[in-house]
Amino acid sequence: MPGSTLLLILSGALTGVVGATLGLGGGVLLVPLLTLAMGVPIRAAIAASLISVIATASASSTVNLEKGLVNLRLGLALEVATAIGGLGGGLASSLLSTDQLFLLFAVTLAVMSLAMVWRSGRRNVIADLTVDPGPLGGTLVEAGTTYVYRVRRLGVAYGSSLVAGAISGLLGVGGGIIKVPILNTFCGVPIRVAASTSAFMIGVTAAASGFVYYGRGDIDLHLAGAVALGALPASLLGARLSHRASTRWLKFLMAAILAGVALQMGWRVR
Amino acid sequence: MTDKIVTLEQVVEGVLTFALLVASALLLLGLLRGEELALRAGILVLLFTPVTRVVLVTAGLLRVRDYLFGGLSAFVLAVLASSIWVAFWP
Repeated sequence: MPGSTLLLILSGALTGVVGATLGLGGGVLLVPLLTLAMGVPIRAAIAASLISVIATASASSTVNLEKGLVNLRLGLALEVATAIGGLGGGLASSLLSTDQLFLLFAVTLAVMSLAMVWRSGRRNVIADLTVDPGPLGGTLVEAGTTYVYRVRRLGVAYGSSLVAGAISGLLGVGGGIIKVPILNTFCGVPIRVAASTSAFMIGVTAAASGFVYYGRGDIDLHLAGAVALGALPASLLGARLSHRASTRWLKFLMAAILAGVALQMGWRVR
Repeated sequence: MTDKIVTLEQVVEGVLTFALLVASALLLLGLLRGEELALRAGILVLLFTPVTRVVLVTAGLLRVRDYLFGGLSAFVLAVLASSIWVAFWP
């Protein structure tokens, strides 16, 4: 196997493990890595990233389903929005120029960087088990105790899912970084459920735009295959590590990296 | 009802895992032997994995007569079907 292929597999693995551990999905790191460090054309990088995002999201979903953290009903309800957003984003991306894609990426990363720092990390759990979780809420078991949570402001959840889907389709990212903070801060969902449910939705979102890229011939088979192959086992590992990675300094580090990468991506357009 | 959802989740998890293993094998084969067909197949398996998941969940929910969420799931499937249509029948 040529060295360049190994390098691509490693890129997929590295971004996959970091992404799955921090609940980011590797796309936000993979596309800049491929375009800035390896000279891959941005459209091919986005297409390859979508494929590896599907791999990452599906892999971490198997772990999260095991842990009982995915709120299937909430995920289904919001998937309608992310899928439509994803399809739209995938179709719209052919209308944007290379420079516009870089710029949009830079702006999105900058916003994500702020979102990472600003996450309020609300617990959102109710200890009184007689409270009705409603059709979309659920229960959460933490350290042996069972809690209940209710979902509020469904409109906000839908809107942010639609936007997250569109961003995913346009930029080859998972979109979780938009959904998770909003679900947690505004919609009453505990952070771990928000992260797991969001990851569950990402596969569908990425597939909705992924098919469009496939049909347009935007997917470089070798590139996409290599990064996805690296991302698959890496994200399984990352998903299992995720409960250990919630220290605040790590989040600040990530936010700093995202901000730095945002500047680099924006710089390309000068 | 909650039990049925939990079993559904387990089935989905099993199918997802199997699909990912198949995809990995195809991609590895394609990269090692430079075979475009294997790479294409692996990538298509990955693209169809979430689709399969939605099909299973839709069927499972409709079977237990959960028409609200089964209907939502069917709608998601329709969106994915549109995407597939755009891809393969332009």
